[in-house]
Amino acid sequence: MSGPEDGADILYWPRWRPGGHRVGAHRGRDAGGLGTFRDQVAFLRLPDARRIDLRASLRDPFEGVVVRRFETRTPVETWALVDLSASMRFQGRADRLGLAQAFCAALARSATRIGDGFGLIGCDAALREAFTLPATRHRAAAQAAVARLGEATCDGRGAEGLLEAARRLAGRPKLVFLVSDFRWPQALIEAVFAALALHDVTPVLLADAAEDEGLPAWGLAELDDLEGAGRRLVFLRPSLRRRWIAREAERVEALRRICAPFARPPFRLADRFDAEALSRHLMTT
Amino acid sequence: MLALLSSLGAATPWLLWCLPVALLPLALSVARRNALPSIAAVPEDPLSAGLRIVLTAAGMLAVGGLILALAGPYRAGERVTRTGIGAQVSMLIDRSGSMNETFAGRQPSGAEESKAAASRRILRDFVGERVHDQFAVTAFSTAPMLVVPMTDRHAAVRAAISAIDRPGLDYTNVARGLGMALSQFGPGVPGVSRALLLVSDGAAVIDPRIQAQLRAEFARVRPNLYWLFLRTKGSPSISDKPAGEDTPQAAPERHLDLFFKSLGVPYRAFEAEGAEAVASAVRQIEALERDPIPYTEERPRRDLTGWAYGAAALGLLLLVLAKLAEADLGRRPVQAAPAAERAPEPARDAAPRTAAA
Repeated sequence: MSGPEDGADILYWPRWRPGGHRVGAHRGRDAGGLGTFRDQVAFLRLPDARRIDLRASLRDPFEGVVVRRFETRTPVETWALVDLSASMRFQGRADRLGLAQAFCAALARSATRIGDGFGLIGCDAALREAFTLPATRHRAAAQAAVARLGEATCDGRGAEGLLEAARRLAGRPKLVFLVSDFRWPQALIEAVFAALALHDVTPVLLADAAEDEGLPAWGLAELDDLEGAGRRLVFLRPSLRRRWIAREAERVEALRRICAPFARPPFRLADRFDAEALSRHLMTT
Repeated sequence: MLALLSSLGAATPWLLWCLPVALLPLALSVARRNALPSIAAVPEDPLSAGLRIVLTAAGMLAVGGLILALAGPYRAGERVTRTGIGAQVSMLIDRSGSMNETFAGRQPSGAEESKAAASRRILRDFVGERVHDQFAVTAFSTAPMLVVPMTDRHAAVRAAISAIDRPGLDYTNVARGLGMALSQFGPGVPGVSRALLLVSDGAAVIDPRIQAQLRAEFARVRPNLYWLFLRTKGSPSISDKPAGEDTPQAAPERHLDLFFKSLGVPYRAFEAEGAEAVASAVRQIEALERDPIPYTEERPRRDLTGWAYGAAALGLLLLVLAKLAEADLGRRPVQAAPAAERAPEPARDAAPRTAAA
């Protein structure tokens, strides 16, 4: 498993202050012994004689004794929720499932390297236990689960299993990446985001140039829906192509609108996985 | 429509069992399939929907046309009955030896023409004047000869008439000739004008027993009877009474005429002593016989294989055009997706993750 080690790490920054007593890499909610200086409190509030701040105590006009507090460093759990419905079989410029797998591998590597847990849940219409991994800091286990993902057969229709996955994630807030092409009914998108509202959710929108910008201007094409919604013959011409691209843009915009109250804006993962682009997205939103 | 269908046939009908294969284009498409995550991404487009119907129809046409063409379709020949103006004319032509002579009673020499040749010339013009006339030709000398049965093929009738100036032979036996000429009319269609045209240059005695039979026949068929009597100069006329005893043997022409008159059918006798007289007699007959007549038209079997191949070619042409217009959606199946992720990263990010915190 030397391959995935080569890529850049995904840098992320949880939106909340995680609690808990384990030592990790992120700024925690609680004050603890070691770490970055956070604030000073009265000795009576934190009666810890080891951390009496002498300089601050002497400076206090009311002669109170002041104790330094430090931030705890706490780990978070990162979860990748991967849509394994039939539309993930799509192969345009890139293999869609391969793209999702590349993302998961990078996330697993980045998370386990800094002591965060990595969890994986694959779903189509139901939860798929074979592609599910409880959050673990064990790097080899995480990478093995991601490797299994590449062998997944995608033939389910719909992604209702994500609702079940959201129930499984109940509890403390987690960093959740929702990896899908989001070709779902609008109601399902809303329901899934509402169910995950507790967490810090980043939708990873799998796209492909062959689906919009890469369309030829002229020609006949027989299109076959991967989820079994039928076949259609399309006579491509510039006006239809424009309408098609506008429709796709509208869909992405609708997704952005729906997830705005619940999650970060969607990250468009098209053609090639670029960890630095995702890091920029995560640090700026 | 049903009549049209029933007239259709195929040379090898069992091949038509393969025709359901023509429904295949409903399930399969000629174009290469491009998988798409969601068909809902494609905007509605009536033009594309129309094209799909056209191409499916073209596929069905191509397959169906080929199978049909292999089966060898044809439209069966049939007879169509129509109504025109004309008459059924049964010609009874004397082929006795005396017809070879001229109207002057000699063997023809030089520019002279025999009675047979003159009647041939004039009767030939008579045939074909009106399209829907039907003719039968019977010749007789000692025995009657059926030359052409009742038909509207005028070419055949003219050919038969052309043959009547072959040298005749033997004697004149008009009774059996009449019997056969009458039988030419066949089962009657009501309202059809029928004419029996007897062309002879002499007569013979009719046996009284046969006379009774002929009477019965005439009463049944009821044709208009025309006797074109080619009279040799100097021979007795129809109306001439013989000088001696007035017996059929002495004046057969007169007694045949009397017999005809006694039949009770419309009867006219034309006594012609030359070619012009014959022609005028024929014209009179022509003018008299003007009635609607049903006639049958023969439509031959028609091979429809060419049409089937044509339809298949049209369908195939459309399919080929569609195939040529096919677009490649720019799919290059990327086998090694992780390689794409791996390659462009130059250096490993070795910095500790404290930056994230």
